[in-house]
Parts: sequence; C-alpha cells; structure tokens
Amino acid sequence: MKVIDKIVNWSRLKSPWVLHFNTGACNACDIEIVAALTPRYDLERFGVLLKATPRHADILLCSGPVTRQIEDRLIRIYEQMSEPKFVVAVGTCACSGGVFDGCYNVKGGIDTAIPVSAYIPGCPASPKAIMDGVVKLLQSLEAK
Amino acid sequence: MSEEENIKQRLADRFSFLADKITIKRARRLFLEVSMDNFSEVFDHAIKSLDFSMLSAISGLDEGDKFGLIYHLASDAGIMLNIKTSIPKDAPILQTVTGYFPSAEMYEREMVDLLGINVKGLPEGNRYPLPDDWPADQYPLRKGWKSDVLDNKENK
Amino acid sequence: MAEEKEFRIPIGPQHPALKEPVSFSLALRGEKIMGVDVRLGYNHRGIEKACEERTYLQDVYLVERICGICSHSHSTCFVQAVEEIAGLEVPKRALYIRTLVAELERIHSHLLWLGVAGHEIGFDTLLMFTWRDREVVMDILAMLTGNRVNYGINTIGGVRRDIRAEDIKEILKAMDILEERTKYYIEVATQETTVIQRLSGVGIISKEDAIKLGAVGPTARASGVARDIRRDDPYAAYAEMDFNVITDDHNDVYGRAVVRLKELLESYKIIRQSVGNLPEGPIAVRAPRKIPAGEAVSRYEAPRGEDMHYVKANGTDRPERVKVRAPTLANVQAVRHMLRDRYLADMPIVVAAIDPCFSCTDRLVSIRDMDKGRTDVIEWQDLRDYSIEWYKKRGVDFSRMGKIK
Repeated sequence: MKVIDKIVNWSRLKSPWVLHFNTGACNACDIEIVAALTPRYDLERFGVLLKATPRHADILLCSGPVTRQIEDRLIRIYEQMSEPKFVVAVGTCACSGGVFDGCYNVKGGIDTAIPVSAYIPGCPASPKAIMDGVVKLLQSLEAK
Repeated sequence: MSEEENIKQRLADRFSFLADKITIKRARRLFLEVSMDNFSEVFDHAIKSLDFSMLSAISGLDEGDKFGLIYHLASDAGIMLNIKTSIPKDAPILQTVTGYFPSAEMYEREMVDLLGINVKGLPEGNRYPLPDDWPADQYPLRKGWKSDVLDNKENK
Repeated sequence: MAEEKEFRIPIGPQHPALKEPVSFSLALRGEKIMGVDVRLGYNHRGIEKACEERTYLQDVYLVERICGICSHSHSTCFVQAVEEIAGLEVPKRALYIRTLVAELERIHSHLLWLGVAGHEIGFDTLLMFTWRDREVVMDILAMLTGNRVNYGINTIGGVRRDIRAEDIKEILKAMDILEERTKYYIEVATQETTVIQRLSGVGIISKEDAIKLGAVGPTARASGVARDIRRDDPYAAYAEMDFNVITDDHNDVYGRAVVRLKELLESYKIIRQSVGNLPEGPIAVRAPRKIPAGEAVSRYEAPRGEDMHYVKANGTDRPERVKVRAPTLANVQAVRHMLRDRYLADMPIVVAAIDPCFSCTDRLVSIRDMDKGRTDVIEWQDLRDYSIEWYKKRGVDFSRMGKIK
C-alpha cells in the first residue's frame, strides 16, 4: 500500500490530467486506455483525469505508429501543452512502430516526432501495464 | 445442376467469348476473365440478370505491363462472381462503376491513389487513403516502388 | 443509376495557419446538415504493401493488427484465403476453435460498442456497466489465447493453441453471466423511454437504400437486409452451427442497437455449441512455406459487417498481392446518406452507430455554415457536447435517468 499512498499524496499535490491521442493506431491500445478508467482498473482513484484539451493536460498518452497524415497534428498538440509536460508512449507501436515498422505511411515510434518521457510496451498495452507505467512516471517525478 | 454451374452456363450462353473463361474454383466462387472492351456488358448483365446485388470490393494489381482488376460481385445466396479484366499500364484508364454501386467510390479512389489508375467519372471528393501532401507520381502499390524514394523527396 | 441529388460542399476559405486533418466536412444550413464529405486515411499505414514484403506467416500477425477490435476477423479471413490456395484441409477442431474465438470477439466488440454509443449520447453509466461486463469476455480471451486483444490464435493450417476442459467450464459460466446481463440491457433498450426517444428516428436508411449503398453488418440488418456471411457464405464451423440472423425493421440507430444486443444472444448460443460439440483431433496441419501460385477470395462476418480479403500467391514464401476490404469502408456511403438533411445534433450517434473503425478520440469536423458563409473546425467532443445539450433542451436527458443496476 505504500506505493499507493505515495501516489495519492502526489495526486493531492498535483492531480495529473491526461490527454489521449491516437496517431494511427489500430485502436487496441486506445481501448485499453479507456478501459483503465473503468471501474475494474479505475485510474481515476489516482486522480488521473482524462481531459479534452492540450492546454489543460499534463500528460499526453499517445498510441500508434505516427502516420504521415497525423504527424503535424501530434506536434501541434504537444506544442500547445504547457510545461511541465510529459509524453507517454502507450503500446509497442508508439514505442517503436511495432509491427508497422517499415510501412510506407508510418514514421515509427512517438519519439520520431516528439520527446517521450515513458514507454509502455505491449500489443496492446494492458490496462494494468498502462497504470503501472503512469504510476512509475509519477514516482520518478516525485523523486526529483 | 448446382447454382454455380447454372450461372456459368447462363453466362457462356449469353456471351460466346466467355466460353472457356469461366472457372468454378469451389462452392460459391466463380472467376471469369474478360477484356476491357467486353467488360461493361458482362458487368451489366451480371447485375441486372443474374442477381449480383453487391460489390464487395475492387482489387487492383500491378501485373507488369498492365493493371489487373477484379470486381468482386456477390449475390444474396452468397455466391461470388469475381470478374477479372485488365488495362494497359501506359494508358491506365477505367470507367467508374459508381453508377451501379455508390460504394465503388472508395475502392476506385484507392486504385487512383495507390496504383495511379485514372478512373473517369468519379464524383468530386477527397482522395483516399493517402495524405494531401503525398508527392505526385508516387504510387506505393506498384511493384518496385520503395518508400525510401519518398524520404529522399521529403529531405530535399 | 444514382438518383440522389449530390450536394457537394463548396470548398470554403480555410484558415491559413490551419492544417488540421478533418475526418468530416459538413455543409450546414440552420441546424441541418446539407452535405457530407468524408476524409479517411488517418490510420492508413501501408499494410497491403508490407504484406508483399513479408512472409505469409509474418502477415498473419500483421493483418491481425489492422484493427484492434476485429483482429481475429482479419487474421482468420487472411489465413482462410491462404489455406484455400494451398489446398490445405484445416482440422475440424481448429475450425471450431476459430469459431469460438470469433464469437468471443463479436461479444467484446458489441459490448464495447454499447458503451461507446452510451458515451456519445451522454449516458456514461452505460459505458461503465457494459465495459465492466465486457471484462468477463476479455478474461476468457486472455485465458484461451494469452492476450486480451490480438490473440495470435491462428496459424496457416489451423490454430496454435488448444482448449482444455477447465477452459470450457469457465466459458460456459461466462456465457450464463453475460446472457443475464444482455437480457437486462435489452430490457433497458426496449423499455426506457429516454433511450427510445434518443435513438429512434435517427440515422434512418431504408432497406432499399441500404442495399443500393452496399451497407453491411448490423447497419444493414437493422434495415431489414438479411446479410450475414456466417449464413450466406459459411466459413470456419458456421455451417454446423444453429443460429439466427438477426434483423430489425426500424431502419434507424435504435434498430442497430437492438440488432447488436440480440446478436449477442446468438453468439452465446454458438459458443455453447462450439464447446459442446468440439471435435477431437489435431489443431493444425502443416503448411508449406512457399504457397503455390493461385488466388482466393475469403469473406468473414466481422462484428461490423463483411470483411473481405483477396490473396494472390506466386509460388514463393511471400504473397504477390493482398487486398483487404474492411467492413467500415463498405458503410461509408450509407453513413453519408444517413447524415444528409438531418440535424447536426444527431451526427455523433449516427456515426457511432455504424461502429466505425477509426480513432475514437481524435476526429475533427469542419463545418461550413451556408448562411453565415464561414467555416469552423471543431473537435468531436465539442460536437458531442452540443448534441447532448441539444437533446437536453428537448427533454431527453440521461443525467436524469434513475440508477441502472
């Protein structure tokens, strides 16, 4: 329970708001991100709220292998976020392009377009892995 | 006589040039080959007289000096009639079939974008599926096309 | 010949700094949509080309990831074509296991859809409940295949994992739970006036138009078009299954919800049969690495509708051509038809009702107001909020609904 106490503390200080953005993914990771918010996993108990606009978001949760169509919009969203901001690559495609690495319309992992703070692999990344990853990110920030 | 054989017979009876060009690959799968000159009448007949009420998709293939096209028609009984034809690569012109099947629009746009086929009669609209800033004259599904060509152009 | 009058959207002045990719462009007059243009391709990755550059076995894993909701659909549709070209006789036990996973996938997809539909109309409680129930089937899939999504159950020639007696027990338990929950959702859908009001008369497409526009899946079946590949062009073990093709004659979003709900009951039926009558025997036959020259067309009834794969082999270990036509693409013209001359407020649920395969979170809509002569680009969530408010003003308010179990 100690870890959770630490996290709840951090959340009380600063409740991280996340923005979820799909860069051309197959939707599997996106669904697992939303599932992480449903009662069984309940990411919200950590104070993590899904927010609609970049200006209010602290964390950008990105899925997908960054298609050529979407790259500019991804960069624009990142630029609209105010500091401090963190990017989490959710899923193997977001980490490295995954199974789509080498496809002509795909750039690759999220870090081909914007800086990434945390990588959560998995195809898809399960809700538990997503929560674990976000919690680890928050822990690493608290340690600073 | 099975339904597939019945369809084959009726097509062969109606169009003598189809005599040995119709194959029943297995249950519910007929394939036929027709030249582009004769395509329209066979297509029209299949839809109007043989109850092929759905166009499942259109496949385009790069076959070297020509583009192969397959119109995948289907009937309510689940039988597919796959009509194969081709057009020369140096004059890749196709007439739209959106007059029969509005759903053909997306399948034809795909062939325009990915193979560089010129489909005449398509309504005005967005391209599909490539981005607006895709360089002209780059057709990914053509054999021998490599995406590094793309990156070089972008780096210019 | 097409009789519908085409209302093409005149290209309005674009924001100079704006290079926003829009998924829909609408022309609006008052509160009504006069014309719709669709712009797809945001998740175009170049998969068909990649298929030619990889082996058949690698392609099984690639096509599985075309869509994270119908992954088994694409994987099965693909291997069926390859197996046909290679003349492989897939063992019956494998066909039954494929059918089992196929129906489990349909269940997860339809429950997911219910939640998404609830979210679109401001009924978030429904999302929480349906996705909680959906976890029952996600657990079964993970137990059987090792993953919640992208199951990797198929190989060329059969399946990769067998099913154990204890798995079957769990599956049957899950079916009982889900059947009870589904019957409850059907009650809510057919008896709650707020739900009926919100979904009825919305997104109408007649049977004639559904056929003419080539609609597939629940979208077509809700307009009385009895198209279902499982029955019309059977694959896997469906020829040996006893089930009904569900149709409805409401022709609207309400009908599409009812069709999906009733289809769930059929899925439970099919699953019970597939585990109850599971044949003994091997789960795969050996497949050659090089597939002899040939071609095949494979069809599959994915949760969204007909999925079609065309594969051409050239005697090597890589395909000559793989063509994939996913179900949503077949419903594009139908959705345009459903939006035209209808209220803007209906757009979110009408689009959601075809269960589209594009990203759930980032859809921008460009709206050209014909009267004011200006074009705005708005986010999907703004459109959703507008829609929920519009309906609240007309007395349809889900926040006022009593608690659901």
